[in-house]
Amino acid sequence: MSRLLRSLRDGIGFDTLLIILALSYLFVFAGLPLLYNVIISFQRVDVFSLGTLWHPFVGLENYERVFSDPLARRVLINTLIFTLGSVALQFTLGFAAALFFHQRFPGATWFRGLFLAGWIMPGLVVGVLWNWLLSGDFGVINHVLRSMGLIESAIFWRSDTAWSLYAVMMANVWYGMPFNMILLSVGLAAIPDDLYEAAELDGANAWQRFWTITLPMMRSTIGAVLALGVIFTLQQFDLFAAITQGGPAGSSTVAQYWSWELSFREFDFGRGAVISVLMIIVVLFVSLIYVRSTRAETRL
Amino acid sequence: MSSAWTNRLLFVTALVLAGIYLFPLYWMYVTSLKTQSSIFAVPPEFLPGVPQWQNYALIWDVANIPRYMWNSLVIATGVTAFTLIFGAGAAYVLARYRNAWIDVALFLVLMLQVLPPSLMVTPIFVGFASVGLLDYPRFGAILAISAKTMPFFIILCRAAFMTVPRELEEAALVDGNSRAGAFFMIVLPLARNGILVAALLIFMQGFGEYVYSASLIADNRLHPASIGMTNFLQPNVVNWNAIMAFAATYVTPIVAAFVLLQRQIVNGLTAGALK
Repeated sequence: MSRLLRSLRDGIGFDTLLIILALSYLFVFAGLPLLYNVIISFQRVDVFSLGTLWHPFVGLENYERVFSDPLARRVLINTLIFTLGSVALQFTLGFAAALFFHQRFPGATWFRGLFLAGWIMPGLVVGVLWNWLLSGDFGVINHVLRSMGLIESAIFWRSDTAWSLYAVMMANVWYGMPFNMILLSVGLAAIPDDLYEAAELDGANAWQRFWTITLPMMRSTIGAVLALGVIFTLQQFDLFAAITQGGPAGSSTVAQYWSWELSFREFDFGRGAVISVLMIIVVLFVSLIYVRSTRAETRL
Repeated sequence: MSSAWTNRLLFVTALVLAGIYLFPLYWMYVTSLKTQSSIFAVPPEFLPGVPQWQNYALIWDVANIPRYMWNSLVIATGVTAFTLIFGAGAAYVLARYRNAWIDVALFLVLMLQVLPPSLMVTPIFVGFASVGLLDYPRFGAILAISAKTMPFFIILCRAAFMTVPRELEEAALVDGNSRAGAFFMIVLPLARNGILVAALLIFMQGFGEYVYSASLIADNRLHPASIGMTNFLQPNVVNWNAIMAFAATYVTPIVAAFVLLQRQIVNGLTAGALK
């Protein structure tokens, strides 16, 4: 016993204790829910059977009901558009900003840091801000677009089924862009200057230097940033809750919002769990790519 | 073009870009200080008129701001405490060793970082309901949010521990410290700045959290300010000055902390984010 105590204080037992503390916490509050999620996706769980740990099994019924739901197709398409669109725009704008701030002018780092003010805001507040910016009659965005001559009449971003998903996407691009920029800036800073100097001596112009040095040297960073972008976009929930609530008529419902709605609006936790299980598989697959690309870079 | 002029041009461009990007924040503060009639002016009044500070006083009690802010504070503090206590030690071990077991642990932590809360909340709600944790909803929410923030915290903190030279810890051991002693007396204080920045980021996440709180906490008296905002939004959907005053009250502490600690936050993030 005293040997165990001594090891805990002054040996390998100390390290083991520290790591076990965190891993067991994560096992109880993340690992177990993951497994439980799979189980309840095969069960009927409603408000009446909530209090018990085991619920009646219904086989694949929940899965069948999710796939035959008329909303399923819409949600799948919305999720794809929202994720790919958000990631593409966040990445492009973030990369452009990172390249811009990589030019060393006085105050560049400070200005770059300012952009993170968007990223640290609570998602729900960002959503409410954009809700106001995108307002149909009195929104600033409509006013600016109209005075630039880009639109004739006001777009009802939040209540028009053709625009609602893009309204949330706009807010999400604003919200996620700074993180892309910061990560890409780190990658840019890691490229040795003499590579560019050598290329310049060889007569390569800025465009050629970008394609032959910057992009190839940034490959693993770009992989990690894109994967993280997909992961964070699939986590986005607050903006939907604050701007469109998935509506109108499901036109801006994405998978993670639908799952939550089924569970906490319709109290059909079994069907909520089905979407949850399927989406988590997707997320874990993407994060494998992310972990692999960071490993390649730093050898964890 | 001389380099001084290039610099000036770049500086002005940066100023314009930052101005465009931060416009939503500016618009929040300006709207919150407008009268009811001037928020609906066409064209919009981009410059503030006479500031209507009473907008803030008016919503303070009507919207239950003190209670909501208090609940957000409780949740953020609880989340930070749990995350720190359970996560800091693990980050240290993950920084100190490099072997197959550590790789597995790190892999698990990285994978758990990515689980979307809106998807995890279904099994957590059902599980908490069946073991009775929903009777203590705020505590339940803190437990669930901490599981979400911990992996991110471990990654950031690990980077901070990696900057502490091994020699200093070994010297402390030679001087007769136990492993635990060297950890608490030498390593923790030396990695203090990185840990504090990571803890601050976790605190901000807890302060603004929405999904778990909205799903696990049924009692309105225990709701944090994020839910308070949605509750306030629906019946007041035309009073944008009042809504923006609520939003400004809610985020000003976060924005202030960010302005004061901008450099440290950016450094902490860039050190940990990709490693």
